[in-house]
Amino acid sequence: MTTTVTLSLSKRETTNSKHETKNMTLGNYFGNIYKGLKSLAAGMRLTGLYFVRRGDSLTQEYPNNRGTLKLAERFRGEVVMPHNESNEHRCTGCTACELACPNGSIKILTKFVINEEGKKKKAIDTFVYHLDTCTMCNLCIISCPSDAIIMANNFEHSVFDRTKLLKVLNKPESKIMAGVE
Amino acid sequence: MILSIYNFTSLTDKFHTYLSAHLSAGIVLATELVLTAILVITFVAVLAMVLIYLERKVAAYMQLRLGPNRVGIYGTGQVVADVLKLVLKEGITPDGADKLMFNLAPYVVLSTCMMALAPIAFGNGLVLWDLNIGVLYITSITSLGVIGILIAGWSSNNKYSMLGAMRSGAQIVSYELSAGLCIISIVVLSGSMQISEIVSSQADGWWIFKGHIPVIIAFVIFIIAATAELNRAPFDLAEAESELTAGFHTEYSGMKFAMFFLAEYINMFVLCALAATLFLGGWMPFHIGNWTAFNNVMDYIPSPLWFFGKTFFIIFIIMWFRWTFPRLRVDQLLDLEWKYLLPISMVNLLAIALMNILGWHF
Amino acid sequence: MTAYQIWFYIIASMILGGALLAVTARKIFRAAIALLVSLIGIAALYYWMHYEFIAAVQTIVYVGGIVVLIIFSIFLTHNPGHTIEEPVSIREAFAFTGCFAGFAFVFSLLNRYSFEQTGDALNHTMQVADVGRALLSTGSGSYLLPFEAVSLLLLASMIGCIVIAIKIRTHK
Repeated sequence: MTTTVTLSLSKRETTNSKHETKNMTLGNYFGNIYKGLKSLAAGMRLTGLYFVRRGDSLTQEYPNNRGTLKLAERFRGEVVMPHNESNEHRCTGCTACELACPNGSIKILTKFVINEEGKKKKAIDTFVYHLDTCTMCNLCIISCPSDAIIMANNFEHSVFDRTKLLKVLNKPESKIMAGVE
Repeated sequence: MILSIYNFTSLTDKFHTYLSAHLSAGIVLATELVLTAILVITFVAVLAMVLIYLERKVAAYMQLRLGPNRVGIYGTGQVVADVLKLVLKEGITPDGADKLMFNLAPYVVLSTCMMALAPIAFGNGLVLWDLNIGVLYITSITSLGVIGILIAGWSSNNKYSMLGAMRSGAQIVSYELSAGLCIISIVVLSGSMQISEIVSSQADGWWIFKGHIPVIIAFVIFIIAATAELNRAPFDLAEAESELTAGFHTEYSGMKFAMFFLAEYINMFVLCALAATLFLGGWMPFHIGNWTAFNNVMDYIPSPLWFFGKTFFIIFIIMWFRWTFPRLRVDQLLDLEWKYLLPISMVNLLAIALMNILGWHF
Repeated sequence: MTAYQIWFYIIASMILGGALLAVTARKIFRAAIALLVSLIGIAALYYWMHYEFIAAVQTIVYVGGIVVLIIFSIFLTHNPGHTIEEPVSIREAFAFTGCFAGFAFVFSLLNRYSFEQTGDALNHTMQVADVGRALLSTGSGSYLLPFEAVSLLLLASMIGCIVIAIKIRTHK
């Protein structure tokens, strides 16, 4: 809101100064003063209103409002792999995310499991995720064909030991969801 | 008419007679000088801290933020913490700098702005030096402040500093003209340059109410010119962060930087106090003509309270400017002074002189 | 020696020291600042004599105006930070002789003139209104004609400035 006001103000002033050099009549001299004062008053009215109206402060008093903190849905905090109640995820182990990752933060180790039909099938063993090198670029989420990973909102990642940022996203004993190919 | 309970003259007189009874004249003078120096330095330090806190709070509120609110009650301890940080920081002198000049500049700037405090009347009888050319003295001393800025800019041996100093100097010298003309218009009305007489000429109403439209125009022009003289936004070309990093004080750090910072805020206070004295009656309570009953009620509010109330009101307006308007270009800055403020204030001065001769003011 | 006299000697040494530094400094900017110190000293001398109005005008005109102008022109020169070379000794000798002759001339004049006290110098206050009246009235002890002559000079120089600075538009 403030930026639009200032932009229009400076634009108007530039056109005025151009106009002045051409022909400076007494009429547009006082016209300029009037216009200038009016635009200044408009700006001051806006900031004055902000000054008086205290309700809509944008500051998040973070550690104090931890319980009520609301982050935008699209905020990228970390990559997680959602599991359902029966400990099943949607990851097929296709390594599309590993290939998409620009700085090698994802490493997928696969294994072969035998399913109910007795066939050998590729599945993930461990989904290694380096939070310490991740830049939250979202490319892995975009490249995933089965929507197995998402960006979570959690941003409190500070730890004393860097190795704690090395995460395994699939839970132990988890299986792939039925129907996901 | 003015209540005697709030008259500080008796207090200072009593102190003076007490000292004179015990000591010789020369020692009395020396003691009083030392005491005033201590008072002024304390006042300056406290005032700068209050103003910096206010500035940060006003800025935050106008930008829909909260401002400092962690250290102390409502963040008041933040300023103390900042001062402590600045005191403990190392004061670096650059290698290619003119060492003597570089270290001299902050003292020049700070001492000139402290000298400008001398004739300001903080209350009824609360004035350090009520000399007969008070307002002219303040104008002359504030014009000395430019020298400090120029020294700082030159001795830093830095292109940005020098450009900033030159911009600052050009700006202060040119805006001094219209500010001076606005001061003169009130001198014309009150018939004196002495601060105490200017204040007492407003006993039946402040000049901004008594002087009709011309005085209001003079007030507005003075506020604009004062903002420009202070190098504050929207006239902060001298320290335009995006172009000159920080202008003349780019190379300064620690306490030397703090002194420039302090001087900036004290200058702001001095010019706002001058505006309050000239146009809003200084320490004079709000009086309306001959309404004796109303005037007596107003007199019950102590005079320093009136003075600081008015001064801080004008300081708030200048802060409001800073956090609202975008920075001017150099050509716009010079256009504003030479094409608008100076001609208007000249014509305005003529109008005020005419009004004074014909007795059209109240 | 009273405190009043001590102040005089402090101010006088400030003026003379500043003047001496102004001509001996090897850096042009430092010379300008030394000149500034000397001029401030003169303003202080006016304050010491209770001529506040002239002191303030001295500060505004010489310190705020002329020295700032000098500093600006120093800033705009090619190498303001360079140290100036030592002058040739023969030139130095000539300058010294010239200065000494001037000093001897002024000193002999001052020495012969007997100063008389015209009023109470210590308890004297000059009202600004008196200065204004003296400048704008005719009769003895008033200065209307010089004032108008100076105004004319200022007007002429101002018109000269405008003529130099004006941009004459050439239409093609």
